[in-house]
Amino acid sequence: MILLASSSQDDLSRWEQGVRGLLAPIFCSTNLDSVRGELVRIKPQVLLLDHDLPKLDGPNGISGLMKLNPETKVIILSRIMSDEVEWSLFRTGIRGCCRGDIEPEQLKNVVEAVQQGELWIRRALSWHLLNELVMITQEKNKIKQAVSDLLANLTRREYEIATLVGNGESNKQIARRLDITERTVKAHLTEVFRKLDVADRLKLALIVKGSMTPRDPTRIGH
Amino acid sequence: MQMVTVAIADTDPGRRTRLEQSLQSEEGIKVLTNVMPNGNEISSNRRSKPRTNITAIEDVITRIGRLKPRILFVDLDQSINGDFALLEALHRKCPETLVVLLTDKSAKDEQIIQALANGARGCLNREAASLYFLKAVRVVDQGEIWVTRKMLGKIMDKVLH
Repeated sequence: MILLASSSQDDLSRWEQGVRGLLAPIFCSTNLDSVRGELVRIKPQVLLLDHDLPKLDGPNGISGLMKLNPETKVIILSRIMSDEVEWSLFRTGIRGCCRGDIEPEQLKNVVEAVQQGELWIRRALSWHLLNELVMITQEKNKIKQAVSDLLANLTRREYEIATLVGNGESNKQIARRLDITERTVKAHLTEVFRKLDVADRLKLALIVKGSMTPRDPTRIGH
Repeated sequence: MQMVTVAIADTDPGRRTRLEQSLQSEEGIKVLTNVMPNGNEISSNRRSKPRTNITAIEDVITRIGRLKPRILFVDLDQSINGDFALLEALHRKCPETLVVLLTDKSAKDEQIIQALANGARGCLNREAASLYFLKAVRVVDQGEIWVTRKMLGKIMDKVLH
């Protein structure tokens, strides 16, 4: 199912002409409330959304709509917008962006591409995407390195127990698995907490899994 | 049109020469030949001794740093070796050189994404027509990236989740 959303009947007619050949049922909405309702009711595979739809409220509004049915692939149709604005829309998770006055035949190509998992983004914006990927990777590598440095301070037994905590095992399970007493497990864990400067097993588990660095209280709620 | 310098580090000498000759004939492109140190290419054999590879990577970095090609085509197999050490070093030490990966059908998307995450600016099937190499050179030289829309979709998934 494809949902078309615009307050302009002319746009809706032209878009409908473009996607008609895709042999998917087409629904139209002319206001935001209707879009919200249809997203929940018909769960469309694709939503073609007019960026100028009244009360949409930019990236925040689009983000809110996407939460109503995360499976729906959203394509924004708009007038010319700056690279920054367009990139901010992609960061909400939309899968494509193109001009509202796009030719119907071309619109069909866009929808088909997005349905197949492609991202319809201008090449001029693609470096934003790659830069984010590089930054995320560098951050992850730093965390991995920091974790690895810290875990290297543990004894073999402490490392073994920390890893089992990371796998979600209780002290009792760890004691049984390693054939030691629960009290010994607790003693080892106390030493692990001290060496890694963490207060509880949840934080230890996150460190072992590499999703946070020690002394990084911002990464976990209390 | 501003001259773009291109170097090709394909491990297959025949293929490399063919591509060099093809790009050399294009206006505005200057091909730098023999960019890899003599007989010292980074092995794509994962069992190679790490020390040998580190030395080879250092040699490549030194040579690239001296020749400063704008675009460098590198085998994906070479670049994934040693946890993407070559790409990471090129990205850090030769930022003016933009790397485009040469792949084949066996290349896995995840490997390509990891290579892009470590600094490559695009990827291209090494059997592609020379026209696509030319396009890739132009696009990457302009600061954009050269990957399929499908790959862009996968990168976006990675960035958002």
